[in-house]
Amino acid sequence: MTERPAPDADGFLLNVQGISKHYQGVTALDAVGLQVRPAEIHALLGGNGAGKSTLINILSGLTSPDSGTIMLSGNRLELRRPTDALGSGINTIHQELSLVPALTTLDNIFLGREVNARFLGLNVRLDRRHMEDRVRSLASEFGLTEEDLKLPVGEFGALKKRVVEIVKALAFDTRLLILDEPTSGLEEEERLNLFEHMRRLRGKGVSLIWVTHHLEELFGLADTATVFRDGRLVGTVEVPDTSVDDLLGMMFGIAAGEFGSTATAAVVTEAEESREEVLRLTDVNRSYILRDISLTVHKGEVLGIAGLAGAGRTELARAIMGIDKISSGTVHLKGKAVKFSDSSAAYQKGLAMLPEDRKQLGILPELSVSENISISSLDRVSWLGFVLKGRDEVSQAESYRQRLGIKTADVREKIRNLSGGNQQKAIVARCLNTNPDLLIFDEPTQGIDVSAKVEVHNLIREFVANGGAAIVIASEIGELVELSHRVIIMKKGRLVGSVDHVPHALVSGQFEAVKNRILAMSAGRTES
Amino acid sequence: MNFQRAASRILSTSGVPIVIALVIVIIVFQIMSPVFLTSGSVRDYINNAIPILLLTVGVAIVIVGGGIDLSVGTVAGLSAGTTMWALVSGAPTWTAVAVGVATGLVFGLFNGLMITVFGINDFIVTLATLNIAGGLLIVLTEKVPLQGVSTPGFSDLVYGNFLGVPTGFWIAAIIFVLMQFLLIRTVFGRRIFAIGIAPGAANVAGVNVNRVRLGTFVISGLLAGAAGVLLASRLGAVQAFLGNGYEFVAIAGAVLGGVSLAGGRGSVWAAVAGGLMLATLQQGLRLNGVDPVYFSIVTGLCIVAGVVFDRRIQQLVLGGIRKRSKSGPTPPAPAKLQETHLLGTGKQD
Repeated sequence: MTERPAPDADGFLLNVQGISKHYQGVTALDAVGLQVRPAEIHALLGGNGAGKSTLINILSGLTSPDSGTIMLSGNRLELRRPTDALGSGINTIHQELSLVPALTTLDNIFLGREVNARFLGLNVRLDRRHMEDRVRSLASEFGLTEEDLKLPVGEFGALKKRVVEIVKALAFDTRLLILDEPTSGLEEEERLNLFEHMRRLRGKGVSLIWVTHHLEELFGLADTATVFRDGRLVGTVEVPDTSVDDLLGMMFGIAAGEFGSTATAAVVTEAEESREEVLRLTDVNRSYILRDISLTVHKGEVLGIAGLAGAGRTELARAIMGIDKISSGTVHLKGKAVKFSDSSAAYQKGLAMLPEDRKQLGILPELSVSENISISSLDRVSWLGFVLKGRDEVSQAESYRQRLGIKTADVREKIRNLSGGNQQKAIVARCLNTNPDLLIFDEPTQGIDVSAKVEVHNLIREFVANGGAAIVIASEIGELVELSHRVIIMKKGRLVGSVDHVPHALVSGQFEAVKNRILAMSAGRTES
Repeated sequence: MNFQRAASRILSTSGVPIVIALVIVIIVFQIMSPVFLTSGSVRDYINNAIPILLLTVGVAIVIVGGGIDLSVGTVAGLSAGTTMWALVSGAPTWTAVAVGVATGLVFGLFNGLMITVFGINDFIVTLATLNIAGGLLIVLTEKVPLQGVSTPGFSDLVYGNFLGVPTGFWIAAIIFVLMQFLLIRTVFGRRIFAIGIAPGAANVAGVNVNRVRLGTFVISGLLAGAAGVLLASRLGAVQAFLGNGYEFVAIAGAVLGGVSLAGGRGSVWAAVAGGLMLATLQQGLRLNGVDPVYFSIVTGLCIVAGVVFDRRIQQLVLGGIRKRSKSGPTPPAPAKLQETHLLGTGKQD
């Protein structure tokens, strides 16, 4: 279906030169270039705000550059709208899936490009048989059965949805496929599966531009990597000739080795003895979603919750916060039985939560950074809890901006204009500002770059070091192990195990062993 | 470039485009018929518009909180009816006023509680109360003749005079200022915006979404009650179908003022300006001898034009500036941004 695309005279399929883009006086891209060879996997790297998404939006026709040229196979492209990009053979799989959940796989693949049965020269109905014939072999190559084609996409897991998007892209002469963080939301095994699909695509002669924050994924897969920093091109390197530390250096402009991964674990302060209990759950149930959960969290402690997607981790957090009602069981906060009818009651009693889904449940996009920070603790910036003191609100946000390093020209800027990592820091600021006894971090570093990740980790450590208690939910088990004092493991709504004294284990060099134990319990295999 | 950014900020401020449009319309009508701005004419049509402006403000607050209230028109009518009924029964002026406002409050509470406690869709609940209030007024008018009382002071609520300005203006102005303050400068108002923008996120952030939503419907009910009292005061008699259809004029005015039906965007000033725009258009057409049967057509066209105008004005004006200056970076077109946002790729890395 995809003929091998011809390179231009220099041997490039895509040659982007001197692209600049400004938003309201902010330079998103400053004369950057990008050269992609035919049939290669080309990683596009950079921290939050580096300009990766802006370039992708330009290449997919969502925004127009202020200047610069885009050449595909030696022909100059004018990408004014998404259909221009699709017509030129550039397909983009965005981080947020663009499939319609209620439609079948087949209808999703042909959405907007339907094949119609015609009668008297008029389109009378969709010709599904024709469409099926066109994609059947391609779909089966990527593991989609005939049944799958007829099922609504909403029933699929994250990996299968991505595969549907890949098939959708390949069904229509794609020469260049752009993948924006394709592994986000995928489990370990699914990632490996996706990587196989990416290799297969390369084998078919398709070039891939791959945006990822997970540098360790690159090796053995990507051919070339281009690094952006603050809207500028830092350089392009051959992946086999480089290392994670080199790439980090290029991404953040600092010497290699500053981002030690396991090294930071030793920083965790021990808080084992003389601990004061903050939260205790006893036999908490919520219909079939949470079953007989009992746990305690102490002052100065990080309790990690591990588990696969759907194990009920987020549901547990929501139940603790009173967002979802529990059907039986008791919750004690600092020794007193509490029953929260809603989240505002939980906040008043000293709980706070950083939600997993930053875009849907975290930020209030139309409000400013300062308003996003103050929303959970408006009594601190108001007179008698009624009239807002605008100046206090701004200066409060200003102090968090400096303390947490939130990158924005003005805290009165709308939060939706900030990069993901900075939005996340603002939401952390919102939680910290409520001065909570217990803070629940649900996937605190999802979709943010390595340096922001280290900063968020440090904020969590600082919070518990100052006497707070924290629950951390993270899919990345390495991250969980580094942060937690204790880890409990959930599976199908139940607690299936726990690992105590995590910092001790790490100090004695058992990082991998602890990780594997947790992994084994989450997957439900027998504990070693 | 600074000028551009300033212009962009001013034009994207809620209510500014509609005020500009309103001034233009007034100038046009004044040129077409010079009696337009004579004091008597302006006073009369604004006086007539005040009850609906109150409804517009109430509905706007509900809409900013992400809801909708269809019941305001008939609730205002019923409140006018209960006010008159109290007067006919011999109650003193202030008791009658309290009865009218309380009627609105009861319906606002009922709407809010049905929506928050029973989780019924606000469109359905308020559609039901629209019919209930409308029906109750018909029943009331059949039982009691709602006219023919002259209580000292009651008609002064609208026709009285303080510092040369009719009292109805004062009452409305005070309510508008209070409501704008409530929406923009208070904790409660901030929470209304939060639940209108993203109720799920507001909930996770510790905002009691149900309590705030209930509050918006109570405010809307109270304002409908106040509108009913002023209607009764101005008309001196209440007929069975008073208030029918007012809800659509109120919603139209709010939308025209740039209050987003999606929630989370708008202000009281903007809604008042939008409502005044509709009233001004009607008055202008009337003075120019247009048959009143055309009013609703013009109102409809004006709503469509107004919403398009609100969306495009930034682009149009800034496009003009850019053509002349031909330098400096290009500000993004707001409509385009919205498009990309819908596609889920509105983030800038």
